[in-house]
Amino acid sequence: MASSNMPYAVRAYERRRLADALRKMILIRKFEEAAEASYMRGLIHGTMHLSIGQEASAVGSCMSLEERDKITSTHRGHGHCLARGADLGRMFAEFFGKETGYCRGRGGSMHIADVERGNLGANGIVGGGLPIAVGSALSAKRLGTGAVTVCFFGDGANNEGAFHESLNMAAIWKLPVVFVCENNLYGMSMSTDRSTAVGNISERAAAYSMPGATVDGNDFSAVAEAVDAAVARARAGEGPSLVENMTYRLRGHSRSDRNRYRTKQEIDDWAKRDPITRLFGMLVSHGVMAEGDMAELDGDAARKIDDALAFAASSPDPKVEEAAFYVYAGSGAR
Amino acid sequence: MSGRSERVRGKLSYAEAIREALDIAMDRDERVVLMGEDIGVYGGAFQVTGDLFGKYGPERVIDTPISELGGAGVAIGAAMTGLRPVFEFQFSDFAALAMEQIVNQAAKLRYMLGGAVSVPVVMRFPAGSGTGAAAQHSQSIEAWLGHVPGLKVVQPSTPEDAKGLLLSAIEDPDPVMIFEHKLLYKTKGHVPRGHYETPIGEAALRRIGHSLTIVATSIMARKSLSAAEELARQGIHADVIDLRSIRPIDRETVLASVRKTGRLMCVYEGVKTLGIGAEISAMVAESDAFDFLEAPIVRLGGAECPIPYNPELEKSVVPQEPDILEAARNLVQGRI
Amino acid sequence: MPVEVIMPKVDMDMASGKILAWHVSAGDEVSKGDPLFDIETDKAAMEVESPGDGILRFPVDEGAVVQIGRPVGWIYADGEVASDPPGGIPSSKDEFRQSVPGEATADGSRNNISSGPDNISGKFRASPLARSLARADGFEIATIVGTGPRGRIEAKDVRNYQARRESEADTSDALAVSESASGTGTPIILLHGFASDAKSWTRLESNLGQRPLVRMELPGHGRSQILKAVGFPDLAATVRQTFDGLNLDKAHLIGHSLGGALLLDLANARPDLVASLTLIAPAGLGPEINGELLAGILRATRSESLGPWLKKLVADESLVTESYVQAAMRDRMEQSTRAAQEAMADALFPDGVQAFDLRAALARVEVPTRILWGKQDRMIQWNHALRAPGRVAIHLLDGIGHMPQIEAPEEVARIIEANL
Repeated sequence: MASSNMPYAVRAYERRRLADALRKMILIRKFEEAAEASYMRGLIHGTMHLSIGQEASAVGSCMSLEERDKITSTHRGHGHCLARGADLGRMFAEFFGKETGYCRGRGGSMHIADVERGNLGANGIVGGGLPIAVGSALSAKRLGTGAVTVCFFGDGANNEGAFHESLNMAAIWKLPVVFVCENNLYGMSMSTDRSTAVGNISERAAAYSMPGATVDGNDFSAVAEAVDAAVARARAGEGPSLVENMTYRLRGHSRSDRNRYRTKQEIDDWAKRDPITRLFGMLVSHGVMAEGDMAELDGDAARKIDDALAFAASSPDPKVEEAAFYVYAGSGAR
Repeated sequence: MSGRSERVRGKLSYAEAIREALDIAMDRDERVVLMGEDIGVYGGAFQVTGDLFGKYGPERVIDTPISELGGAGVAIGAAMTGLRPVFEFQFSDFAALAMEQIVNQAAKLRYMLGGAVSVPVVMRFPAGSGTGAAAQHSQSIEAWLGHVPGLKVVQPSTPEDAKGLLLSAIEDPDPVMIFEHKLLYKTKGHVPRGHYETPIGEAALRRIGHSLTIVATSIMARKSLSAAEELARQGIHADVIDLRSIRPIDRETVLASVRKTGRLMCVYEGVKTLGIGAEISAMVAESDAFDFLEAPIVRLGGAECPIPYNPELEKSVVPQEPDILEAARNLVQGRI
Repeated sequence: MPVEVIMPKVDMDMASGKILAWHVSAGDEVSKGDPLFDIETDKAAMEVESPGDGILRFPVDEGAVVQIGRPVGWIYADGEVASDPPGGIPSSKDEFRQSVPGEATADGSRNNISSGPDNISGKFRASPLARSLARADGFEIATIVGTGPRGRIEAKDVRNYQARRESEADTSDALAVSESASGTGTPIILLHGFASDAKSWTRLESNLGQRPLVRMELPGHGRSQILKAVGFPDLAATVRQTFDGLNLDKAHLIGHSLGGALLLDLANARPDLVASLTLIAPAGLGPEINGELLAGILRATRSESLGPWLKKLVADESLVTESYVQAAMRDRMEQSTRAAQEAMADALFPDGVQAFDLRAALARVEVPTRILWGKQDRMIQWNHALRAPGRVAIHLLDGIGHMPQIEAPEEVARIIEANL
């Protein structure tokens, strides 16, 4: 009787996994805050796109993924990478443009990838990862690996042709792919109200004859419930699904955003729905954690971040004469 | 004792040679799949895939919807994750729809990820004019893709190379773009049996001369070769280089020939300005071979014009054999 | 009228099709839409339906290859008389090729060979190979005359020059010779006047036709070396020696002023090798010469002092522009050049008098000869021409000074051409 009132996550996962999910969300938050601080100190070149406020979507969407599974990520992809267990030091090293980074300093924040853990890469092109995810699912089906691909994309991508072509092909070929739309309400400055004809992006699933669901993307349990179901369906060979996580980026689009298109009030309202606070509250109220645990989790994360930053800062830069390594196979170290 | 019939066979057409390559590759490697529009039961717009659908079935000869961007992207994603897709564009012109995936994804993923992934995809592009298909089905856009580091771009001109370069491309760990001139599909030639690879990045010296160097691509290599026979009857002996690969370019073969002849002419169907001829010319001008030049470099390329429909107009905007003959004579006989 | 049945175009690049089989025979009745015949293209076999109702007549043989759009048979209405097919019908033996309507010729936009100026001051057209050969040999490429398009110096010019230089190494007295871009016919030998050089022929040359030109330059002038012995007999011997070295079968001679006198002497010495003789304001026909003008030119060490004298050489002084004077002065900047010319002037024109007389030679020369003279010549008076024998043609040009080849090159060229 008690179980029916319990949130999905509490029912579905062991305590250890729940604590681990919260730990990852905190790590993502601290990681991005540290990245922001490094950026402001001039340690990071170019720009970066922070997902602060969207951690439940990243972590919740990866709960049922296995080692063999793949994800494709977006320009706002730090959370996805960490949700799959990436190494903090190599991520920071990449941001700092170091040879020890995930992309050997050739990609930066926007192309962060961790192929060994199934992350096929963040993508600088809106909608760029969608066909690639479908291709990854095609490989899985053809080679019989049983792998599922989770394809992260933002609300902006839903108006790209690649979105429509990809969903259609995934559906006609019944491929094991889950399209996870992280709808943070704005494609740069343009709100989905102004950019998108349908009220919910998940409605577009109907056009491709696949299930579509819209969930509170700041509710870890709701995200996990929807995506887990979609992954199970994909794994069972029943084809793709579309899950829309309604969420919000508390920071601007990129480091150069001056936030002219949204109000302080709106940002504050969303800040009150912080996914980390909510998950922690839920775990406390269901006895998975105690109020006092937060300080320890924060401290833990801060220590890891410090170590990672130290590793990145002390790592060597790539050699200028090796700028053209990795353009083709056989050039550069492997 | 193997019978004569085992070793000797008739000539194959360019299209048949490609099909044979696909068949061999699919037979020896389960990971090879074909993707594209109407390549299944229809056999491909130019009948290149032919009956492979019957032999390998819909799981490996995959008809895609008319979704060039998505289709190319799926092939790229599949290539990153273990398959060896050969993606056919129905016409090379449609690559414009898929440029994002080709240029931003296929070409750059290995690099952006610091060598952590490979994109062993092959894309085939029926290209070129001469079929009356007008401006959106007749272009020669190889130079667009030749401009992108991370891609390899080849233009076989003979059935033998069509097969050998395709087999090389399928084995290649990087994305390879193959431009197949539509008028070549029916041309016939000797094609070795079985599996062999024509190296990507090596030009073929098709004819040896001393009066001038003609560097040509695709169907222009054939036209140049034929023009060179006529020139030889007039006492002008051309080195004819079939470039075969425009990225990477076989620099040494071109430079060695120019050092020998002192005269260079580039013949290609793509628009002349900012095209392959510009690259070859600049390559020579930047090298020591410059010091061996005896005359200005000549480029024969497509006109600054979309491909027109009217057959006479269509012919007039790309180099034809008489143009090659005249330009070569002018170059060698000191009229420029 | 019977309905024409044609070989249809069924795919984009089909040029012809082969008749595999007819579904009906000649004389059979067919209805519109009935299967009529099967064709085979390079891609596929396909069935073609009848385009009309009636009787099939004159079908082409099975196996025939027919160009698209050409008739393969006719359908006659019931009762319509069929004698001969309305148009020629191909038999199976005919082979149709795709028509090749007059192959496009090179079109300007594609093959346009960019034209550029023939000469740019101070720059020389030379192929990169020619330049590198000259560089390797350590000489200035500009000393060679190019025979390529627009005067481009090519490798063969350099090699010819090198060969000539070697063969001339022992005949050190020969004059500098430059040859024009290839031409045909009997060559023309040009010899300039005192204190001038081969460049003085440029304007005339562009008005002359296609003949090969050979320009000689006097010792201490242009690119010729300075000789010690500069009396008229010495000079005449050097000209002969240079001429002999050219090994010509025949040549037209054109000389100006002192050059005229020297070529007149040459014509006298080598009558069999001379086709014609043209003397422009020649020296040697009388003692008078404008010594003051000669001395003025020789003395000048800068363009300001040279200009006023050069203007006296022509009738229309506006021809002597500032840049012309500067260019002339540049050629005289070498002290050794000026000294050599001064020595020569001293030997040839002591005290402002012509110290040589060629009237006897002129009387002997039998080749067609003409004299051109400007009536405003202030260096040598035109009426010296009147001392020529009657068979010598005399052209007196009004409003022209001592330099007709520069002042009126078209007119001079016309006169010369008419007589070559």
